[in-house]
Amino acid sequence: MVYIASWDDFVEKSVQLFRADPEKTRYAMKYRHCDGKLVLKVTDDKEENLKLEVIFTTFSFLLSYQCIKFKTDQAQDAKKMEKFNNIFFTLMARGPEVYLHTPSVRKEWIYLKLAGKKMQRPSQPRKEGEGNNSVLPISE
Amino acid sequence: MVRLQPDPFLNELTSMFERTTEKGSVWVTLKHSSDKSKLQRNKMKTAGEKIELRCLIRATDGKKTISTMVGAKDHQRFQSSYATILKTRMTALKKRERKEKRKAADSDKKQGSKKRSSAAKISK
Repeated sequence: MVYIASWDDFVEKSVQLFRADPEKTRYAMKYRHCDGKLVLKVTDDKEENLKLEVIFTTFSFLLSYQCIKFKTDQAQDAKKMEKFNNIFFTLMARGPEVYLHTPSVRKEWIYLKLAGKKMQRPSQPRKEGEGNNSVLPISE
Repeated sequence: MVRLQPDPFLNELTSMFERTTEKGSVWVTLKHSSDKSKLQRNKMKTAGEKIELRCLIRATDGKKTISTMVGAKDHQRFQSSYATILKTRMTALKKRERKEKRKAADSDKKQGSKKRSSAAKISK
Protein backbone atom coordinates (compact mmCIF):
# COMPACT_ATOMS: atom_id res chain seq x y z
CA MET A 1 0.00 0.00 0.00
CA VAL A 2 1.45 3.28 -1.01
CA TYR A 3 0.32 6.70 0.16
CA ILE A 4 1.16 9.15 -2.57
CA ALA A 5 1.97 12.70 -1.57
CA SER A 6 1.49 14.44 -4.91
CA TRP A 7 -2.06 14.71 -6.23
CA ASP A 8 -1.09 14.81 -9.90
CA ASP A 9 1.09 11.75 -9.41
CA PHE A 10 -1.81 9.92 -7.81
CA VAL A 11 -4.14 10.76 -10.70
CA GLU A 12 -1.64 9.68 -13.35
CA LYS A 13 -0.92 6.38 -11.66
CA SER A 14 -4.60 5.65 -11.04
CA VAL A 15 -5.49 6.09 -14.68
CA GLN A 16 -2.52 3.95 -15.70
CA LEU A 17 -3.60 1.23 -13.30
CA PHE A 18 -7.10 1.31 -14.67
CA ARG A 19 -6.05 1.21 -18.29
CA ALA A 20 -3.69 -1.67 -17.56
CA ASP A 21 -6.49 -3.81 -16.13
CA PRO A 22 -9.96 -2.30 -16.48
CA GLU A 23 -11.79 -5.43 -15.31
CA LYS A 24 -10.11 -5.63 -11.95
CA THR A 25 -9.27 -2.05 -11.00
CA ARG A 26 -11.56 -0.34 -8.53
CA TYR A 27 -11.60 3.13 -7.02
CA ALA A 28 -12.75 3.46 -3.43
CA MET A 29 -13.36 6.61 -1.44
CA LYS A 30 -13.78 6.85 2.33
CA TYR A 31 -15.09 9.93 4.03
CA ARG A 32 -15.29 10.47 7.79
CA HIS A 33 -17.20 13.58 8.73
CA CYS A 34 -16.42 13.23 12.44
CA ASP A 35 -12.65 13.23 11.76
CA GLY A 36 -12.73 15.44 8.68
CA LYS A 37 -10.66 12.94 6.72
CA LEU A 38 -10.87 11.79 3.12
CA VAL A 39 -9.00 8.77 1.74
CA LEU A 40 -8.91 7.69 -1.90
CA LYS A 41 -7.73 4.23 -2.95
CA VAL A 42 -7.19 2.74 -6.39
CA THR A 43 -6.22 -0.91 -6.62
CA ASP A 44 -6.32 -3.87 -8.96
CA ASP A 45 -6.03 -6.48 -6.21
CA LYS A 46 -2.85 -7.94 -7.66
CA GLU A 47 0.27 -8.81 -5.76
CA GLU A 48 3.45 -6.96 -6.54
CA ASN A 49 5.75 -8.94 -8.74
CA LEU A 50 8.76 -6.73 -9.18
CA LYS A 51 11.17 -9.51 -10.13
CA LEU A 52 9.23 -10.38 -13.26
CA GLU A 53 9.02 -6.74 -14.18
CA VAL A 54 12.78 -6.28 -13.93
CA ILE A 55 13.35 -9.24 -16.22
CA PHE A 56 10.85 -8.38 -18.92
CA THR A 57 10.73 -4.63 -18.99
CA THR A 58 12.58 -1.58 -17.82
CA PHE A 59 10.77 1.28 -16.13
CA SER A 60 7.41 -0.36 -16.59
CA PHE A 61 4.69 1.13 -14.47
CA LEU A 62 2.42 -1.84 -15.04
CA LEU A 63 2.79 -4.16 -12.07
CA SER A 64 4.67 -1.80 -9.79
CA TYR A 65 1.65 -0.08 -8.30
CA GLN A 66 -0.96 -2.53 -7.10
CA CYS A 67 -2.60 -0.26 -4.57
CA ILE A 68 -2.22 3.48 -4.38
CA LYS A 69 -3.80 5.73 -1.82
CA PHE A 70 -4.21 9.41 -1.18
CA LYS A 71 -5.33 10.89 2.12
CA THR A 72 -6.24 14.44 2.99
CA ASP A 73 -8.08 16.71 5.34
CA GLN A 74 -8.13 19.75 3.04
CA ALA A 75 -11.24 21.15 1.40
CA GLN A 76 -9.29 22.07 -1.73
CA ASP A 77 -8.55 18.39 -2.29
CA ALA A 78 -12.28 17.68 -2.31
CA LYS A 79 -12.52 19.90 -5.38
CA LYS A 80 -9.65 18.04 -7.03
CA MET A 81 -11.35 14.78 -6.15
CA GLU A 82 -14.46 15.93 -7.95
CA LYS A 83 -12.54 16.21 -11.20
CA PHE A 84 -10.90 12.89 -10.49
CA ASN A 85 -14.38 11.40 -10.03
CA ASN A 86 -15.41 12.79 -13.40
CA ILE A 87 -12.42 11.15 -15.04
CA PHE A 88 -13.15 7.80 -13.46
CA PHE A 89 -16.88 7.91 -14.14
CA THR A 90 -16.15 8.52 -17.81
CA LEU A 91 -13.51 5.80 -17.91
CA MET A 92 -15.64 3.24 -16.15
CA ALA A 93 -18.94 3.95 -17.83
CA ARG A 94 -17.56 4.14 -21.34
CA GLY A 95 -14.52 1.92 -21.27
CA PRO A 96 -10.74 2.31 -20.97
CA GLU A 97 -10.19 3.39 -24.56
CA VAL A 98 -12.29 6.50 -24.25
CA TYR A 99 -10.86 9.86 -25.25
CA LEU A 100 -11.09 11.93 -22.12
CA HIS A 101 -11.92 15.57 -22.51
CA THR A 102 -14.09 17.73 -20.30
CA PRO A 103 -14.58 21.50 -20.65
CA SER A 104 -13.22 22.20 -17.19
CA VAL A 105 -9.69 21.07 -18.03
CA ARG A 106 -6.31 22.62 -17.53
CA LYS A 107 -4.26 23.23 -20.65
CA GLU A 108 -1.62 20.82 -19.47
CA TRP A 109 -2.14 17.42 -21.14
CA ILE A 110 -0.95 13.97 -20.21
CA TYR A 111 -0.65 11.41 -22.99
CA LEU A 112 -1.14 7.81 -21.94
CA LYS A 113 -0.59 4.83 -24.15
CA LEU A 114 -3.18 2.08 -23.82
CA ALA A 115 -0.51 -0.35 -22.66
CA GLY A 116 0.07 1.98 -19.73
CA LYS A 117 3.78 2.36 -20.30
CA LYS A 118 5.64 5.62 -20.81
CA MET A 119 4.38 9.02 -19.83
CA GLN A 120 4.89 12.15 -21.89
CA ARG A 121 4.01 15.69 -21.02
CA PRO A 122 3.87 17.94 -24.06
CA SER A 123 4.23 21.66 -23.58
CA GLN A 124 1.63 22.51 -26.23
CA PRO A 125 -2.06 22.04 -25.69
CA ARG A 126 -4.19 19.61 -27.57
CA LYS A 127 -3.01 17.47 -30.49
CA GLU A 128 -5.59 15.35 -32.18
CA GLY A 129 -5.29 11.95 -33.78
CA GLU A 130 -2.15 10.63 -32.21
CA GLY A 131 -2.45 7.04 -33.40
CA ASN A 132 -3.18 4.66 -30.57
CA ASN A 133 -2.56 7.19 -27.82
CA SER A 134 -5.45 8.12 -25.60
CA VAL A 135 -5.45 11.62 -24.29
CA LEU A 136 -6.17 12.46 -20.71
CA PRO A 137 -6.45 16.10 -19.84
CA ILE A 138 -6.44 17.08 -16.21
CA SER A 139 -7.27 20.54 -15.13
CA GLU A 140 -7.50 22.89 -12.23
CA MET B 1 -26.55 -5.53 -0.77
CA VAL B 2 -29.41 -3.55 -2.20
CA ARG B 3 -29.37 -2.86 -5.93
CA LEU B 4 -31.10 0.40 -6.77
CA GLN B 5 -31.76 2.63 -9.73
CA PRO B 6 -29.41 5.64 -9.98
CA ASP B 7 -31.86 8.22 -8.54
CA PRO B 8 -32.98 6.25 -5.44
CA PHE B 9 -29.32 5.38 -4.96
CA LEU B 10 -28.42 9.07 -4.77
CA ASN B 11 -31.20 9.70 -2.25
CA GLU B 12 -29.99 6.81 -0.10
CA LEU B 13 -26.43 8.10 -0.38
CA THR B 14 -27.52 11.51 0.88
CA SER B 15 -29.23 9.97 3.90
CA MET B 16 -26.11 7.88 4.51
CA PHE B 17 -24.01 11.03 4.72
CA GLU B 18 -26.57 12.56 7.07
CA ARG B 19 -26.48 9.56 9.36
CA THR B 20 -22.69 9.52 9.65
CA THR B 21 -22.07 13.16 10.58
CA GLU B 22 -21.37 12.42 14.24
CA LYS B 23 -19.88 8.98 13.97
CA GLY B 24 -18.85 6.56 11.22
CA SER B 25 -17.62 6.68 7.62
CA VAL B 26 -19.03 6.51 4.15
CA TRP B 27 -17.29 4.36 1.57
CA VAL B 28 -18.05 4.80 -2.12
CA THR B 29 -16.48 2.40 -4.62
CA LEU B 30 -16.44 2.63 -8.40
CA LYS B 31 -15.76 -0.34 -10.63
CA HIS B 32 -15.92 -1.12 -14.33
CA SER B 33 -18.14 -4.20 -14.43
CA SER B 34 -20.47 -6.17 -16.65
CA ASP B 35 -22.82 -7.25 -13.88
CA LYS B 36 -22.58 -10.88 -15.00
CA SER B 37 -20.87 -13.82 -13.34
CA LYS B 38 -17.63 -15.23 -14.72
CA LEU B 39 -19.45 -18.27 -16.09
CA GLN B 40 -21.90 -16.13 -18.02
CA ARG B 41 -19.09 -13.95 -19.32
CA ASN B 42 -17.11 -16.95 -20.56
CA LYS B 43 -20.22 -18.31 -22.25
CA MET B 44 -20.79 -14.97 -23.93
CA LYS B 45 -17.18 -14.85 -25.06
CA THR B 46 -17.33 -18.25 -26.69
CA ALA B 47 -20.69 -17.41 -28.26
CA GLY B 48 -19.12 -14.23 -29.66
CA GLU B 49 -21.61 -11.93 -27.96
CA LYS B 50 -20.52 -8.47 -26.94
CA ILE B 51 -20.36 -7.97 -23.17
CA GLU B 52 -21.79 -4.66 -22.09
CA LEU B 53 -19.56 -3.02 -19.50
CA ARG B 54 -20.93 -0.36 -17.22
CA CYS B 55 -19.91 1.44 -14.08
CA LEU B 56 -20.84 -0.26 -10.82
CA ILE B 57 -21.11 2.11 -7.88
CA ARG B 58 -21.32 0.82 -4.33
CA ALA B 59 -21.83 2.81 -1.17
CA THR B 60 -21.81 1.70 2.45
CA ASP B 61 -21.78 3.19 5.92
CA GLY B 62 -20.40 0.04 7.48
CA LYS B 63 -23.85 -1.39 8.14
CA LYS B 64 -25.95 -0.96 5.06
CA THR B 65 -24.74 -1.35 1.48
CA ILE B 66 -26.38 0.00 -1.64
CA SER B 67 -25.33 -0.24 -5.25
CA THR B 68 -26.26 0.88 -8.72
CA MET B 69 -25.15 0.42 -12.31
CA VAL B 70 -24.55 3.45 -14.50
CA GLY B 71 -24.11 3.14 -18.25
CA ALA B 72 -22.47 5.35 -20.79
CA LYS B 73 -25.67 7.25 -21.56
CA ASP B 74 -26.61 8.40 -18.08
CA HIS B 75 -23.19 8.75 -16.47
CA GLN B 76 -22.94 12.50 -17.08
CA ARG B 77 -26.16 13.22 -15.24
CA PHE B 78 -25.29 10.88 -12.40
CA GLN B 79 -21.82 12.40 -12.19
CA SER B 80 -23.17 15.94 -11.72
CA SER B 81 -25.75 14.88 -9.10
CA TYR B 82 -23.10 12.89 -7.27
CA ALA B 83 -20.74 15.86 -7.32
CA THR B 84 -23.47 18.10 -5.88
CA ILE B 85 -24.10 15.66 -3.03
CA LEU B 86 -20.39 15.49 -2.20
CA LYS B 87 -20.03 19.26 -2.28
CA THR B 88 -22.90 19.81 0.13
CA ARG B 89 -21.94 16.97 2.45
CA MET B 90 -18.16 17.13 2.66
CA THR B 91 -17.98 20.16 4.86
CA ALA B 92 -15.76 18.85 7.64
CA LEU B 93 -12.52 19.26 5.69
CA LYS B 94 -10.12 22.08 6.61
CA LYS B 95 -10.23 25.25 4.58
CA ARG B 96 -7.69 27.87 3.59
CA GLU B 97 -4.90 26.69 5.82
CA ARG B 98 -2.32 27.99 3.38
CA LYS B 99 -3.67 31.52 3.36
CA GLU B 100 -3.69 31.55 7.14
CA LYS B 101 -0.11 30.32 7.19
CA ARG B 102 0.87 32.99 4.67
CA LYS B 103 -0.77 35.68 6.77
CA ALA B 104 1.05 34.43 9.83
CA ALA B 105 4.33 34.35 7.90
CA ASP B 106 3.75 37.88 6.55
CA SER B 107 2.97 39.26 9.97
CA ASP B 108 6.13 37.61 11.34
CA LYS B 109 8.19 39.16 8.57
CA LYS B 110 6.76 42.59 9.27
CA GLN B 111 7.55 42.25 12.95
CA GLY B 112 11.04 41.10 12.06
CA SER B 113 11.67 44.11 9.80
CA LYS B 114 10.33 46.50 12.44
CA LYS B 115 12.64 45.05 15.05
CA ARG B 116 15.59 45.36 12.66
CA SER B 117 14.79 48.99 11.81
CA SER B 118 14.36 49.87 15.50
CA ALA B 119 17.63 48.07 16.32
CA ALA B 120 19.37 49.98 13.50
CA LYS B 121 18.10 53.28 14.90
CA ILE B 122 19.29 52.40 18.39
CA SER B 123 22.73 51.39 17.14
CA LYS B 124 23.10 54.73 15.27
